[in-house]
Amino acid sequence: MDDKRSELKKIIMDIRTLPTLPGVINKLNTLSENAKASVQEMARLVSSDQVLSARILRLANSPSYGFYRVSTISNAIILLGVNVVKSLAISSSIFEIMERSSVGLWEHSLGAGVAANLIARKLALPECEEIATAALLHDIGKVIISLKCTESEQHIKKMIHEKQLYMREAEREVLDTDHAEVGAWLSKSWFLPDKLSEPIAFHHDVQLSQNHRIKTAVVHLADVLIKASGFGESGDRYVPQIQKIAWDVLKLNDEILTELVEELEDKLVEARNFSLEMQA
Amino acid sequence: MQKIPLMCATSGMKLARDVFRNDSPVGMPVCGKDTVLTDSLLARLDHLEVKSIYVEGHPLWSEGEKTLDEILCDLDLRFEKVRNDPLTSKLHSIYTAFLKNSMGDSSGRQTL
Repeated sequence: MDDKRSELKKIIMDIRTLPTLPGVINKLNTLSENAKASVQEMARLVSSDQVLSARILRLANSPSYGFYRVSTISNAIILLGVNVVKSLAISSSIFEIMERSSVGLWEHSLGAGVAANLIARKLALPECEEIATAALLHDIGKVIISLKCTESEQHIKKMIHEKQLYMREAEREVLDTDHAEVGAWLSKSWFLPDKLSEPIAFHHDVQLSQNHRIKTAVVHLADVLIKASGFGESGDRYVPQIQKIAWDVLKLNDEILTELVEELEDKLVEARNFSLEMQA
Repeated sequence: MQKIPLMCATSGMKLARDVFRNDSPVGMPVCGKDTVLTDSLLARLDHLEVKSIYVEGHPLWSEGEKTLDEILCDLDLRFEKVRNDPLTSKLHSIYTAFLKNSMGDSSGRQTL
């Protein structure tokens, strides 16, 4: 294994080097494993941390989910499910960093969440909220690379510009890994469920997804659509190729794709307003 | 579709979305999608303290906003690596048609 790659993996797998997680999350993990635990108990636990609750509610009210009026943690758990609320709680510190240091990437992630939710509902797929969450989190690896490899990040940006590369190609050349793999390490270190970690790990290579290929295909297509729309900034300007396996597994056709583009552009008007409000 | 302040709306514009009181996305709409605006309707919306509305097309242009040609040029640049891929080039064609249809002709545009 290349030195930089193994060093980066070591940093990420050591939870102490990552943005701190509130103690409440460990208790929530324990509580959610208990089949007898009620939604109210879990909500009471999360609500005891006001900052964390505010962060979760802000994400839960984002256009990625389309509910808008989620005013309490117990509502969030009922509407989005324990898995999603837990994942939002775990990742909220990364989103805080993203909002502060990379608004473009925050917008790209938010837009991918909106697109994934739209695709999942259009195709009548189960677990739409999980799929939207996976899309919201699909580029978390980029935040970690930016946090932990500042010098390499500058080199990556230079290569993208000079050689006109996709970001993941430049990351591979500089770090011998890419944001998808880094995101996969991070989701493992956070104990995220497979249905979230597989789409994060394989959104650029759907065929590698073994257990959640449909969810991974949705996140891949959401990434393509949001890059096509030009909403947000993901590090490079290039639209990725739609993978044939994703097209086939989602049973797409020209008509569905046309409807998706029209509906997505409609939803992105809201996402733009949401992002402006967040920055205000 | 464009979101514009109510004060910039003029009669003849067509609503692209239902209008709700105070921009709230829930509750009963006070005016339905596809309604063509009239002076009396605009006065009524103003009386209801509606601040902004969504209208069809792109009737208002702010200074520095890109023209349709510039937007299409940006689209081509974003797709430059995948123009020869059959599936992704479909998406490019769909986006081009969508932008032409939704933004319309930007000549003689009205500045906000």
